[in-house]
Amino acid sequence: MKKRLSLMLVTLMAFGSILAACGGEEAAPADESAVTTPAETGEEATEETPAENAEESGSESAIGLTEATDMSMNPAPALARTDSMIIGTVAPQGVFNPLFHQTAYDFAIDDIIFPSLIKVKEDGTYENDMADKIDISDDNLTYTFHIRDDANFSDGTPVTANDYLFAAKVLMDASYDGQSDPLSWNIVGANEYNEGTSADISGIKVIDDKTVEVTVSDYDAMTQINLGLIPPMSEAYYGANYKQGDVSSIKELNNKPMGAGPYKMTSYSAGQEVDMEANENYYGGAPKVKSLIFKVTTDLTSISTLQSGETDLDNVTVNEDNVEELQASGFLDVDILKNNGYGYVAMNNNNPLFTDVKVRQALTYGLNREEVVVAAYGPYAEVINIPQSDVSWAYTAENIDTYDYDPEKAKQLLEEAGWVEGADGIREKDGKKFEINFSATADNPVIEALIPIMTENYEELGIKLVTETLDFNAIMEKKDRGDYDMFFAAWGLTPDPDTTVYITDGAQNNSGYSNPKVDELYAQGKKELDLEKRKEIYAQAYQLINADAPEILMYQRTNMLAINGRLDGWDISPYKEYQHSLSQVEIAQ
Amino acid sequence: MSQYIIRRLLQMIPTLIGISIIVFAISQMVPGDYITASQNPNMTAERADQLRAIYGLDKPPAQQYFVWVKNMLTGNLGDSFQHKMPVTSVINTYVWNSFLIAFVTLILSWTIAAFVGVFSAQFQYSFFDKVVTLIVFLLMSLPSFFIGLLVIKYFALDLKLFPTGGMTTAGLKVSGFEQIKDIAKHMVLPVAVMTALSIGGLTRYFRTGMLEVIRQDYIRTARAKGLKERTVIFKHAFRNALLPAITLLGLELPGLFGGAMILERVFAWPGIGQVYLASLNMRDYPLMLGFTMFLAVLTLLGNLISDVLYGVADPRIRLK
Amino acid sequence: MEQPVNRTEQLQEQLKIVKTESPWRIALRRFMKNRLALIGLIILVLMFLLCFIGPIFSPYTLNETDVTNKNSPPDSTHWLGTDKLGRDILLRVMLAGRISLTVGLVATAISVAIGATLGAVAGFYRRFADTLIMRIADIFLALPTLPILITLGAILSDLKVAPNQRIYYLMFIIGVLGWVSLARLVRGQILTLREQEFMQATEALGLRDNRKIFRHLMPNTVPIIIVSATLGVAGAILLESALSFLGLGVVPPTPSWGNMITAANSLIDFRKRPWTWIPPGMCILVTVMAINLIGDGLRDALDPKMKHR
Repeated sequence: MKKRLSLMLVTLMAFGSILAACGGEEAAPADESAVTTPAETGEEATEETPAENAEESGSESAIGLTEATDMSMNPAPALARTDSMIIGTVAPQGVFNPLFHQTAYDFAIDDIIFPSLIKVKEDGTYENDMADKIDISDDNLTYTFHIRDDANFSDGTPVTANDYLFAAKVLMDASYDGQSDPLSWNIVGANEYNEGTSADISGIKVIDDKTVEVTVSDYDAMTQINLGLIPPMSEAYYGANYKQGDVSSIKELNNKPMGAGPYKMTSYSAGQEVDMEANENYYGGAPKVKSLIFKVTTDLTSISTLQSGETDLDNVTVNEDNVEELQASGFLDVDILKNNGYGYVAMNNNNPLFTDVKVRQALTYGLNREEVVVAAYGPYAEVINIPQSDVSWAYTAENIDTYDYDPEKAKQLLEEAGWVEGADGIREKDGKKFEINFSATADNPVIEALIPIMTENYEELGIKLVTETLDFNAIMEKKDRGDYDMFFAAWGLTPDPDTTVYITDGAQNNSGYSNPKVDELYAQGKKELDLEKRKEIYAQAYQLINADAPEILMYQRTNMLAINGRLDGWDISPYKEYQHSLSQVEIAQ
Repeated sequence: MSQYIIRRLLQMIPTLIGISIIVFAISQMVPGDYITASQNPNMTAERADQLRAIYGLDKPPAQQYFVWVKNMLTGNLGDSFQHKMPVTSVINTYVWNSFLIAFVTLILSWTIAAFVGVFSAQFQYSFFDKVVTLIVFLLMSLPSFFIGLLVIKYFALDLKLFPTGGMTTAGLKVSGFEQIKDIAKHMVLPVAVMTALSIGGLTRYFRTGMLEVIRQDYIRTARAKGLKERTVIFKHAFRNALLPAITLLGLELPGLFGGAMILERVFAWPGIGQVYLASLNMRDYPLMLGFTMFLAVLTLLGNLISDVLYGVADPRIRLK
Repeated sequence: MEQPVNRTEQLQEQLKIVKTESPWRIALRRFMKNRLALIGLIILVLMFLLCFIGPIFSPYTLNETDVTNKNSPPDSTHWLGTDKLGRDILLRVMLAGRISLTVGLVATAISVAIGATLGAVAGFYRRFADTLIMRIADIFLALPTLPILITLGAILSDLKVAPNQRIYYLMFIIGVLGWVSLARLVRGQILTLREQEFMQATEALGLRDNRKIFRHLMPNTVPIIIVSATLGVAGAILLESALSFLGLGVVPPTPSWGNMITAANSLIDFRKRPWTWIPPGMCILVTVMAINLIGDGLRDALDPKMKHR
C-alpha cells in the first residue's frame, strides 16, 4: 500500500532530520566535537572560566548540575547492576575508528577505545594524555612527542612511535575519506605521500620506540592540537593488509576496534547495543566499572528508560517539561550544560538589501530576540551578541552592543539608510520595496516561535517578511549560489576560536561578510600562541563583528545529561564530554 | 501461464532500466551531496574537492550512472559513504530485523482483518460493525508515532508488561530458546501497533468485498439450497471477496523489507527504515540508490505475483 | 371544475419525470433517503462552516503569541486552551481545518480520478494499454518519494513561488502520488467483471467502449473506490504536515490538523496536555467518519444490484 508507505516515509523524514542533525534540535552545520553530548558540572565551569561571571544573570540558575535528592527511589534494575553501567545513545553507525568516524555517537565510543597523545580539558584547552612530554622547537616547527612507557594496546602490545606514524600515513593517504583535513596541517612530506611520490612521510621521524618527531612547514595555534590528536593505531592489527593508496583494509576492521583506551569492545550488534569491558592494561589505571553497555534509545523514550532504571546515563532534549520530569524522579543527577554552538539568522551581505550596516543593525534592534528565545527554550537558552560560547576563554562582554529590542531605534536607522515608508506602510528606497525572503528548516523549536514574532516585529518596522520552510540541504544550496535574502541556521563551535565563518571568502562564510580588519585579526589570532594575547585579539574581532552585525545572532542553547545518582566521579564540561570521565567513574554503594 | 510469467519477467528489464534512470536523475537533482550534508565546519573547499574525487562525485552524471549500473550488474552496490562498508552488508545487517516484525505483522493483520471484515460485513450496521468502524477510523486519524507512544505509555510504563523498546535486553547474554523469548517479548508492542495500523484499511477492503459478494445471486442460491451459513460465507463468498485483497497482497512485498521508519524509531527497533532515512538525509547515494533499487525489484515481483495469483483465484481471467 | 384535470396533468407530468429519471437522479433520491449518509453530509458541511466562518468570530489572531499564557488548559477565555506559544487552540483548529479539509478532499479527488480512470482503462483494454499503464504504475511505486519531494520543494523555492501558494501544488503532488494502489485495485476488479455475462450482453448490444466502461463497469467498482477514498482523505491530511518540512506544505505559524497533532510529540504532552492534540485528532476523525458515511450512502445509492431502497 503505497500511500501508507509514502506517508511513513515523509512523516518520519520530518523526525529523521532532527536525528540526522546530530541529535540536537537544530538542523545545523555542526562540528562533531561540538555536537557530541556536551556536558559540564556547572559550579566547576563558573570557577574556572572567569568570562562566565561577566554574563551571570538571574536566569543562569537554570543551568548547571542538580544532584539527585532521594536515592531510595532508585529502581531495582539499576541497583542490580553492581559492576556495570548502561549508557543510552542514539544508534551508532558502526564506524568505530577515530580516523573515519563521523557521528557524535560513534565518536563517543571511539573516545573510550582510542586515546590520543593529548586530551581536552574542561576549559577547552588541552593537556597531555598518552604522551608524557611534548617538546616544541623554538621556531615552533618541530614537535617531539614522548609516548608513555606504560601505554599498551588492549591486546598487550606496546603503543609505539610506529603506530603514530601508521595512523598519520592513513590520514595522508590518497584514498582517506574521513572527516579530517590532514593535508592542511602542513606536515612536511604529507603531500608527497598523498600523491604517491614517496613511500614515507619525511616530516615524521621515529626516533625510538616511544619517541616520534614531527616537522611542519608552517605553524599556527592549531598545529600542536592537530598533531597531538592523531591517535596511534596498532600497525600490527590494522596495517597487515594496508597498501599506500588503499585504506579499505583498515575500514574493514571498523566494527572490530582495538585501541589503548580504558575500555575494549567485546561485541557490537548494529542498532541495538555495544558491549565494552574494562581494559586492565590501561595506562591510566584499570577502570572501576567493569563493563559498559551502550544501549540504543530514542529521544521519545529516553526519559522513560532512565526512570525505569534500564539506563544509567542519557542525553535528553532540554525543555521545562523534561527537566521537571527528570528532577522529580529523585535519583537522577541532571546536568544542564551550555551547548557549543549558536543559532543565527544569516543575511546575504552581498544582497543590496543588506549592504548598508545601518539596515543590518536595524534588523537586529527591531527583532525581539529575547521573546523568541524564551518562547522556544524557556530559561534554557540565552540571547547572544558575539559568535562565541560564554564558557570559552575567548569570550568577551566588553564593548559589546547588546542590541536590546528597540523598534524606534530600528526605524530611525532605516530612515537614515534611506528606507522611507511608502503609501502601503512598506518601506521603499529608489522605488524598491523592502521585502525579505526568509528560509528556515522546520524541525527546530526556535522556528515555530521565530517566524510569527519576526513577521510581526518587521511588519511594525515597515518590512514585509515572506517565510518558507525548506529542507536543510536545499537552504545550503541556495546559500552556495548566493540566491537568498535571509535564512536561519546554527553553527557548532570548536574549543578553539579559530574559524573561517567571518573572514572574507572563508570556506564557511555563509553571509558574504567582509571586513579587512576582522580578516587581519583572525589571521593574527591563528598565528599567535600566547593565550592571553589571543584573548585580546579575538575580543577585538568580536567587537568589530558585533558592530557590523553581519548576521542576527540569536541564542546559545543548552544540552542536558541525566545520570543515575549511584554513579560518582564525573568531571564534565561543555568541552570535556562525559565519555572522558568513564575511566574514573565508580558505583556508589 | 508460464509464457505469461516469462513475458512479464522480460518486461521487468526495461522497467528497471527506466526506474534506475529516474532514480539516478533524482539523486542528481536533490540539493546537496554527502559532503555538504556532513556539514563539517572545518571543511575547506580543497578538502571537499578531494572527497568528491574519492567518491567519484566529480565525474559527469552520465559517467557516474554507467559506473553505478555496471557495478550493480556484478552485484556490487558500492560502499556506503556513512557506514564505510559495502551497501549490501549494511542492508543485510538491518533488513532482517525489519523483516521479522513486518512478516509477523503481515500474518497477523491479514488473518485478523479477514475475520473482522467478514463479520462486520455479515452483520452490517450491527453494534460490532459500528465499533470496528469507529476503531478503524480512530487509528487512521492519529499519526502512527502517536499510537506508538500511547501503547508504550500504557503497556510499558504504567503496566510494565513489555519493554519500552529495543530488540533485546541490554547486557542479557542468553541463547537458544531464552533468546527467542527475549526477542519475542520486545516484538509484542511494535508488532501490535503495526498490526493495528494495517488492519484498518484491510478490514475496510475485506468488508466491502464481502458486502458486494453476499448480495450476489449465487450466494442467495447457495443459501436457498440450504447450505450452512458458515459454508456459504467461507467457501463461496470469502473466496470471491478476496480478489481485491490479492492486489493489496502484492503491494505488501516491498513493505516486508522496506522497514517501518516511524515505528522503528519509536520502539528503537534496529531496522532498515531509519538507516535508509539517514541515507537520504545524509545524501549517502550508494546506500540510498542501492536500497531503492532493491525495493524496486521487490515491487515489480510483488505486482507480478499478485497478477499471477489473480489468474489462479479467478480462472475466468485469461492471462495473456 | 378544472382541478381534477390539473391533478391528472400533474400526475402525468410526474409520471413522465419518473419515466425519464436518469440513474443519477435515482442515486440522488436513494442517497437522500439514507439517514446515516445525510448525517455524514451535514457533519461535513458543518465542519466546513466552522472552519471557514468560525475564525471571523475569534477575538485572537494567527500571529499573536503570548508566552506568559502558554499551555493553559481550556477555560472561559480560551475554550480549548492554548499551545506552547500561548496561542488559542480553538482558532488554530478552525484555521487548520481550512487547509486540512481542502488538502484532504482535493488531493484524494485527484488520486481517485487518476487511479480509477487509468485502472479501468488498463483492465478493460488489457494488452498494450494494460502493460503500459501498469508498468508506469510499477515505476511510480518503486520511486523513492522523499528525494522527489525534497527536490520539488527546492524547485518551488528557486522559482520563488509564494509560500502560501505552494499548498496548491502540494494537493496536486499528494494526489498524483496516491493513484497507484487504487488503479491496481480497480484494474483487478474490471478484469473480473469484464468476463461476466452482463458484459457479454453489452458486447452483443454493440455498446461503445466508453459507455461500457463508465456506465456498466465503473459503477461496480464504486465500493472499492469509496474505501480507498476514505482511507486517502485521512492519509492526505496527515501527509500534509510532514511535507511542510520540505517547503511544500503550509508555513508556520499557519496551522494544519496534521502539524497540530505532530506538535504534541512527547509522552509528557500526551499525559499533561490532552487539549493540544485531542481537538485536531477529533477533527480528523469526525471528518473521516463523515466521509465514510457519505461514501457508504453513495455506494448503496449507486449500486445497480440494490433495487429495493
